[in-house]
Amino acid sequence: MSFALRTRGLEKRFGPLVALHPLDLELAPGAALAVLGPNGAGKSTLLRLLAGLARPSAGTIEIESRARSRVERRRNVGLVGHATFLTPTLTTRENLLLAAKLHGLAAPAERAARALADEELEGVAERRAGALSRGLAQRAAIARALLHDPKLVLLDEPWTGLDARAAARLSARLDAEKRAGRTLVVVTHDLGRVVGLAERALVLARGRARWLEAAALLDETALAAATADAVARMESAR
Amino acid sequence: MTRNTPLLRASAVALAACAALWAFFVWRAPIDSMQGPIQKILYVHVPCVLGAYLGFGLTALTGALYLWRREERFDRFSAASAEVGVFFCTLVLLTGPIWAKGTWGRWWTWDLRLTLTLLLYLVYVSYLLLRSFTEGSERAARFSAVYAIAGLAVIPLNYFAIDLAGGRTVHPENLGRGSLGAGMGAPFALGMLTAVAAFAYLLVRRLEVGTLRAELDRLEAETARSEA
Amino acid sequence: MNALLAVLWKDLVSEWRSRDRLVAMGVFALLVVIILYLAAPPGAGAEARAHVPGLLWVAYLFAGVLGLNRAFATELENEALSLLALAPVERGWIFLGKALASLLLLLVVQAATALAFALAFGLDLWPVAGRLALVATLGAAGVCSVGTLFSAIAVRTQYREVMLPLLLLPLLVPVLLGAVRATNALLLEGTLPWPALQLLLVTDGVFAIVSFLTFEVVLDE
Repeated sequence: MSFALRTRGLEKRFGPLVALHPLDLELAPGAALAVLGPNGAGKSTLLRLLAGLARPSAGTIEIESRARSRVERRRNVGLVGHATFLTPTLTTRENLLLAAKLHGLAAPAERAARALADEELEGVAERRAGALSRGLAQRAAIARALLHDPKLVLLDEPWTGLDARAAARLSARLDAEKRAGRTLVVVTHDLGRVVGLAERALVLARGRARWLEAAALLDETALAAATADAVARMESAR
Repeated sequence: MTRNTPLLRASAVALAACAALWAFFVWRAPIDSMQGPIQKILYVHVPCVLGAYLGFGLTALTGALYLWRREERFDRFSAASAEVGVFFCTLVLLTGPIWAKGTWGRWWTWDLRLTLTLLLYLVYVSYLLLRSFTEGSERAARFSAVYAIAGLAVIPLNYFAIDLAGGRTVHPENLGRGSLGAGMGAPFALGMLTAVAAFAYLLVRRLEVGTLRAELDRLEAETARSEA
Repeated sequence: MNALLAVLWKDLVSEWRSRDRLVAMGVFALLVVIILYLAAPPGAGAEARAHVPGLLWVAYLFAGVLGLNRAFATELENEALSLLALAPVERGWIFLGKALASLLLLLVVQAATALAFALAFGLDLWPVAGRLALVATLGAAGVCSVGTLFSAIAVRTQYREVMLPLLLLPLLVPVLLGAVRATNALLLEGTLPWPALQLLLVTDGVFAIVSFLTFEVVLDE
């Protein structure tokens, strides 16, 4: 059976601190995984490992049924982080153009234009990225992350700082991408957004992980309860 | 308290033995006819040079090993070697001028070897500062390893650079055959041996400190996390 | 290769927009020329001339360090550095793009500074202009290669403005000595000594290789 993402024994240590204990996970194509848990649990670390920004201390990461080099993995992964990764002195269009060039895409200008259109950013295409509002900047970041057509999309608390309309827009976009076959891994505290988007949920606390039952994802209350429970169990099991 | 591990005891014994022999031979060595008693400081100076360069070589080598293997023990060795090495380098830069003042009448000249060692000292200090000022031990390990490799590569380049700039003047040429008076060979050789023994001993102690500190960091991090 | 050009394009466009690095480097170099002129008596003829190559390279070094300090400044905002780190290429190419951008800026400043020096110290640089440019380029390449590597390191440490010169200057001794020697010979005798050129070439090569290969780990988290 082919999978979109698989990790075996994925571990990250920062000196003496174990940020992520050995983790095994497997995601089918088109699946969406929510990663939940308190601050400092290792969620961002997990995303950065998957994105190829950090090197695992141990374990493997496979994308699309093959263990690939870090460089190849970066080709197939899109990351929306806490920060937008946009260069403030360049315009929105130029930022996307830069991303397209860095990914070695053919016809970078067209890809950038298409990415702008997908997020309806044509109006601010010539505005400096540093002058974009939070909502617009986030959309630009999403455009950037999806520009190179990655199979796996990682999002780190993407709804933070967005107003209700922008947040709904983002959820709609993610839904559309899922239906288009992309695999999503979303770190968030916004449990309401998770319900209806993710079929599976992983809770992290102190670098350890625990899977939630599918039933927990049916509504927000159940999810909150299950998450709190999982965290409590992990924190007490020292 | 320092744990009295077998390695520590062995290196302490080796050091004591070498140092005793060396001191004996230095005391017994004849006084140089031209330079006078101050020449005996060379029995400290030259071995320290060995320690200084050995230290940096090891720092760079274990740094490279860390980057390759990502095993923390290499990084701990790198840090320890740098601190011990810089100690020896300091001794070189202290004993050198003392000897120079006694023989040539000047505290400092910009000759090849002096300048080279001074530059090594600066690279050492920069390395240690980089370690201190980088947050995150993993990042510090990576950055300092990269710097150590660059620093090692620059040592031969510096040699040729200073030579080009005409620095090959004052320093006495190396111990060619027969250039040492009788009775001077033994203290020099023993001095080198003692330097290596001293380096090893200090390295072992420093490594222990490093291991304990890493353990402390780990406990602190775990505590901080449980309070978060 | 694409990545190299992309990074180069980005840096040059950014620089063109704000021109802050160029202006800062240029003004600073000019100030150094003025101060050196005031400090070193120029009227002493040949003796003063003997110091000019060294002074010129002091100005170049300081301007270079100033520029390199700002090399990753734009990347700090919005974690734009991560965008580069995410590129699916060997990060050595990113390094080359960045280093080339810094090099181009430094070359412009070097030319302007040489002109200012010629005016201030009454030198005739025309006969040796071509070879002087070669030496200046080789020197600048050495500065910018290792300088870019350490700039990327320094930008993630505390006291980053101080960290870069601390890390960089001890390593630039071969570049400095080779370049000064070559410039000296050019200005005083009109010849270009091969040993000095050789030193510069070897140093540049070593630095470029070390920086290219280690940049991968420097951009890691």
